[in-house]
Amino acid sequence: MNSIATTPPSVSMPQARPHLGLRARLTRHPELFTLTLLLLTCIGVGLINPRFFQLATLFDLLHSATTTGLFACGVLVVLASGGIDVSFTAIAALVMYSVTKAVFAWWPEMPFALILALGALGGTLLGLLNGIAVHTLRAPSLIVTIGTQYLYRGVLLTFVGTTFFMNIPSSMDRFGRTPLLHYQTVDGLRAVLPVSVIALAAGAALTWWLLKRTMMGRGVYAMGGSLVIAERLGYQLRALHLFVFGYAGLLAGTAGILHVANNRLANPFDLVGTELDVIAAVILGGARITGGTGTVWGTLLGVMLVTLINQVLILVGVPSTLQKVIVGIFILIAGTLFAFTRPR
Amino acid sequence: MKPASHTQPFLQIVDVHKHFTGVYALRGVSLQFERGQIYHLLGENGCGKSTLIKIIAGAQPPDQGHLLIDGRHYDRLSALQALSAGIETVYQDLSLLPNMSVAENIGLTAELAAHHGRLARTFDRRGLAATAAIALREVGLPTDAAFQATLVEQLPLATRQLIAIARGIASEAKFVIMDEPTASLTQKEVDNLIRVLNGLRSRGVAVLFVSHKLDECYAIGGTVIILRDGQVISQGPIENYTKAQIGELMTGRELSQERYRNREPADDILLEVEALGRREQFQDVSFSLRRGEILGITGLLDSGRNELARALAGVAPADTGQVRLRDQAIRLRSPSDAILHRIGYVPEDRLNEGLFLDKPILDNVITAVIGRLRSRTGRLDRTLARRLAEQTVKDLQIATPNIDLPVQSLSGGNQQRVLIGRWLAIAPEILILHGPTVGVDVGSKDTIYRIMQRLSEQGIGILLISDDLPELLQNCDRILLMKKGRLADQFDARQITEPDLYHALLSEAA
Repeated sequence: MNSIATTPPSVSMPQARPHLGLRARLTRHPELFTLTLLLLTCIGVGLINPRFFQLATLFDLLHSATTTGLFACGVLVVLASGGIDVSFTAIAALVMYSVTKAVFAWWPEMPFALILALGALGGTLLGLLNGIAVHTLRAPSLIVTIGTQYLYRGVLLTFVGTTFFMNIPSSMDRFGRTPLLHYQTVDGLRAVLPVSVIALAAGAALTWWLLKRTMMGRGVYAMGGSLVIAERLGYQLRALHLFVFGYAGLLAGTAGILHVANNRLANPFDLVGTELDVIAAVILGGARITGGTGTVWGTLLGVMLVTLINQVLILVGVPSTLQKVIVGIFILIAGTLFAFTRPR
Repeated sequence: MKPASHTQPFLQIVDVHKHFTGVYALRGVSLQFERGQIYHLLGENGCGKSTLIKIIAGAQPPDQGHLLIDGRHYDRLSALQALSAGIETVYQDLSLLPNMSVAENIGLTAELAAHHGRLARTFDRRGLAATAAIALREVGLPTDAAFQATLVEQLPLATRQLIAIARGIASEAKFVIMDEPTASLTQKEVDNLIRVLNGLRSRGVAVLFVSHKLDECYAIGGTVIILRDGQVISQGPIENYTKAQIGELMTGRELSQERYRNREPADDILLEVEALGRREQFQDVSFSLRRGEILGITGLLDSGRNELARALAGVAPADTGQVRLRDQAIRLRSPSDAILHRIGYVPEDRLNEGLFLDKPILDNVITAVIGRLRSRTGRLDRTLARRLAEQTVKDLQIATPNIDLPVQSLSGGNQQRVLIGRWLAIAPEILILHGPTVGVDVGSKDTIYRIMQRLSEQGIGILLISDDLPELLQNCDRILLMKKGRLADQFDARQITEPDLYHALLSEAA
């Protein structure tokens, strides 16, 4: 016979510890799924075309992933905060074209570091504008950034220019040609890993550190978990909104400049329209569209997966139209899988 | 550790007024809260309790009056100021971030308050784990790294509640406000919570407890503060009041403690459940429900009572067994199956599972019968719909000037009645009421019980799933007790006493 009074006080609550099955583990680490998909795709392609397995493929992959990867880190931060950003490509296009054009006109010898800083600054300012709008209007960020995407793009094409040019500042041109690593392939081709890959690594590391190690990063996840509760707990939503969109802008601006340097071409019609590819990559990397989750590792894996399908499959003879089908199927699989693992 | 000083109260509220668009929520409230004391804030829904809590928590500024914390004057508080001053509020939703880990939920708020909300800084990860461990031990939860890294969304409600309290301990809270902390806990979990609260009290923390369950208030002890129409009606040590007195003070009218049930069900059997089961949640459940009968089902949170209710409503269908309605086997694979067979289900969590909070009362009432309200052109017959909603409001005494107001403008008891009204619209044969008075004040409870009895007189069979024992005893014909997913016992509600039922509920032997 036991009455409540005699129950020992140290008794812990029943079911205090959740059952850690595959589902729970997948909820905590959705990037494991991304990794599996990536490996399966690699194996699949490798079986069809053994030439896939060479260092040059990896070089190509990293080269193509640089811009997308930087964009994706920004999108990850925005998604983790519970928002969404579709204006980052417009920011990148406006910044890269204007900066390149202005620098070429006024100081063609400007050092590349300075150009990059200029791009980052421009991107940050435009991103902050998004942040201010989202915070003060209390409007859904999707609506706000659709608006600013049109705005930034319109400003670019109306006031800055509509023609692409290849006369880019000399330091940009040099940076774009500088290899980090290179070697002769068996076919006698020169495989090059451009130095801009370092920027991707740096951007990813910085994003990881900000999200994991700073109060700002924890605040981003808190806000993504619940805006109302985060505010109640004393998180400053204004600072968080400005940080989130400012940082996404910073990465977009930087990515834009690197994009011009890598391609040695400034095209005002470039980039805009690829938002969904980037968002798809981040989602495939395990970030929930509803906010509060997502890791840099997962995002990088997602970017690799999408880049692999978009850019590299063409090398093994998969028609480019079919690539869209594959990305679509992957997203559907990921979406249903993550939905099933979500606790009620 | 001794509190710093006994000469001045920790918190004083001086002549606080607050009104919203012409309606007064608080009219000149003055209160004092001493360290190491437990206070119970009682009052009907809509009496100004929530507003008072929000003002103390810094979520809303008062229109008039001020607060003194440790003698320091504040005309208004920000959320951050309240936290830095040591005021921790555990709202009904617990204010936990579901996507973050146990340790982060406990430790980060303290970090934030300690650094005045500054975000541009790194945080001490090892310190975070240490703080969390101390606070977790204090509330009797595991302290290891694996548990600390668990996401809060993966934990059951009772554990989350303790984590919210642990957060208060980690923030070195001096004043903890708990808004209906026991609303969805089982008896055992409540007992554990009370132990934790007593621990806080002995450390010199003041606790303001808001609950509708008077038995718990008596079990905890302390000072009652009774609020009515935005004013403090009475306050004093709880042992100086009887339950009936508190009820009268809250409502301004007398309430009976008697059985509401005073008639017999019909002889014909309406519903027969045979060997029903679902996964590991419940197995081999068989019972029958007669026409006009009120059948109570109770049990602890893990007894499977909730799952049984949801299975009968088609929300989470059973996978074994059979259900027969008037001798006809029926399938209950989805909520629409249940509606088709005129089984209404009023869920426990009306905010998340039942109501469309920001939609008008009208829309909420008609949603289960929308197909029937089609005019000849296939469009919604507005006149018919309005007539139905207005009738419901009248029948169930829902206090609202207008059926076009959103449901969230109503008090908890009235919201619950809207939900019941929705199911009455399908002219139900069976009504499953799942915790119908959770978070509902005494006056509204009375109305809901009367409605229940009236419905049973009309021949509706009612399944009342509840852990409120007086509620079951006052309203049911029979009470079924579930344990570990099986029916363990059955009682005649007229014969069993509350202590016996309570004992049967807690005894471990199934």
